[in-house]
Amino acid sequence: MREPAMNLILEKQSLPELLQSWRESYDVFLPQKLERFSHFMPLQDDTAVLLNEPHNTRVPPKALFLPMTETLVKFTRFGGYQDADHEVQPRVVFAIRPCDAQAVQLLDTSFVQEDYTDPLWKEKREKTVTVGLGCHEPCLTGFCTTVGGGPFNKAGLDVLLTDIGDSYLVEVLTDKGNWLFPSLQNADDSAIETGHKIQQEAFDRMEVAFETEHLKEKLEQNFSSPYWDTVSQSCLGCGVCTFLCPTCFCFDIVDETQRRERVRNWDSCMFRTYSLEASGHNPRPSRVERTRQRLSHKFVYWIDQVNQIGCTGCGRCVRYCPVGLDIRAMLRQAQTLPFEVSHAA
Amino acid sequence: MPDIDTIKTEAKRLLQEGVVEVVVAFKAGDTPMHPQPAFFSSPDEIDQLVYSGLCQNNLASFLTRLPKEKKIGMVVRGCENRSVDALIVEKQKSRENLYLIGVPCEGIIDWRKIVEMVGEAVLAVEENAHLVTVETQNGRFALERSILLHDSCSRCAHPNPMSADILIGEALPEGDPSLARTALEEFEALSSEERYAWFQKEAERCIRCYACREACPMCFCEECFVDHIEPRWTESGATPAGMQGWHIVRAFHQTGRCTSCGACERACPMDIKMTYLTEKLNHDMRKKYNFEAGLDVQTQPPFATVTLDDKNRFVVS
Repeated sequence: MREPAMNLILEKQSLPELLQSWRESYDVFLPQKLERFSHFMPLQDDTAVLLNEPHNTRVPPKALFLPMTETLVKFTRFGGYQDADHEVQPRVVFAIRPCDAQAVQLLDTSFVQEDYTDPLWKEKREKTVTVGLGCHEPCLTGFCTTVGGGPFNKAGLDVLLTDIGDSYLVEVLTDKGNWLFPSLQNADDSAIETGHKIQQEAFDRMEVAFETEHLKEKLEQNFSSPYWDTVSQSCLGCGVCTFLCPTCFCFDIVDETQRRERVRNWDSCMFRTYSLEASGHNPRPSRVERTRQRLSHKFVYWIDQVNQIGCTGCGRCVRYCPVGLDIRAMLRQAQTLPFEVSHAA
Repeated sequence: MPDIDTIKTEAKRLLQEGVVEVVVAFKAGDTPMHPQPAFFSSPDEIDQLVYSGLCQNNLASFLTRLPKEKKIGMVVRGCENRSVDALIVEKQKSRENLYLIGVPCEGIIDWRKIVEMVGEAVLAVEENAHLVTVETQNGRFALERSILLHDSCSRCAHPNPMSADILIGEALPEGDPSLARTALEEFEALSSEERYAWFQKEAERCIRCYACREACPMCFCEECFVDHIEPRWTESGATPAGMQGWHIVRAFHQTGRCTSCGACERACPMDIKMTYLTEKLNHDMRKKYNFEAGLDVQTQPPFATVTLDDKNRFVVS
């Protein structure tokens, strides 16, 4: 069993030095500026530590565990093959937001199962320590509290940081996290109190984006409703919402024969080719069915399979949809659909 | 800005009189900076119609998504009108099935530039001809409209719809055609190694989501070359060869077809610059063939035509 949370105090000014010290034992990833957004990249000698950005990285950190393209096997022309090199160094993912950490934990239910475990995912997960940075200024497009999380949610984290001014309140949540802070002082009661107050205030600032009660039944029972035509009408059918989603994990396995590699690439249920069968038949022939699949997977099938909503409310699909489609509005509209209470046990 | 009530009145009339079955325009989005493309099929719905500088999509991209015979009304700006005409040239739509409500365009506002200046917590945006006023959680900011324009709009040569059925508002002065060169000058000044490095740096951020393709009115192929499996035209996945292959071929497929609307860049979730590639091709088409896509509904793009006196005999023999 886990020890009770330990509370330490970390001066902001000593953070760069601490991060550098971790490099002796870990690869350290943290959000850094790339063009006009932030992106998880490895810490270098001269990396500026900029954690003022109130918003999240553009690409979710799921990419550190399920890269956009990953080589599975290398093969030769005449039938031989070998596993690709999958060696991962121990690493720290620093300043991961709670929505994204929760998403990674959610994805464990898919990649680490009793009857099958994905070795590539598992290796990366086991060798990673996650240090979360809670959101004291939650973004307007996020809706973590609506889907069961929160701006200081601890799911999927080894450590949680709370910005309390000149320092961070460091809540060590696991043994893995404990190794990172050998020389920090314990936080005093007032620091802990300040931290908890900031956490509560951030939580209270979040509004309910849509009701989740009976949402599953409504989506399920209205499978053939014109609702789906309405909400998919302006969808372009690109992969922005799914690729930038921290919980979307679909991939496609392709043999790159010229490189003699079998790779897996991110794939998206919003693409025509995703469900296109070899015969030419496509069971999801238009954006209507594909939109239904995307929403139903998150708000129906995840619940059927692991009893959790497959969305952590990060808001990326809302922020970056090229046509301004907003999943919160789509689900508010779904809440107006007719349904019958199911009496299944 | 064109008068919104006049646009609405005309849109309503089209539906009431049965001139069209649907009016494609914008409606207010669920977030302040993202108006959504909208499809109005009854006059009552027209109240929801909005028009602002933040309407960032090229609505012509929806033409090929709607049934070919459907009678469509569309609010078009200069670039959208050119895209519609280019689609008519390519036989994707008949002009008689279209009714274009033209609005002279003062340029699309790049919401990313707003975020860069005032942060993400935007509550409301208002604009007039010169100023964009942004209300955020941290206060109110008045920003100059001209500095917020999307790059492709700040160099726009044809802001006016040229073949609309009705023009709402006063036509604007034509843009300076030499401005189209601004996207290129910096790039062309580089050595070939530097140009390749520039291209690599942009392409390597690509996540292969194809938002650029889907946002482009001229990308209407039933099956895109990247989705082809046998033969495979380019590597799958986010590898350098795959990403560069996609961006190069996408641009080349636009030769003589791109209308410089910039919808590809506006849709890109990774802020990849890509119009410098299509602008270079557009420039070459102007220089070598005196051709610009979408300026009329007859002239075929030079690379889509074959004549019996082609100087390359292999083309016709």
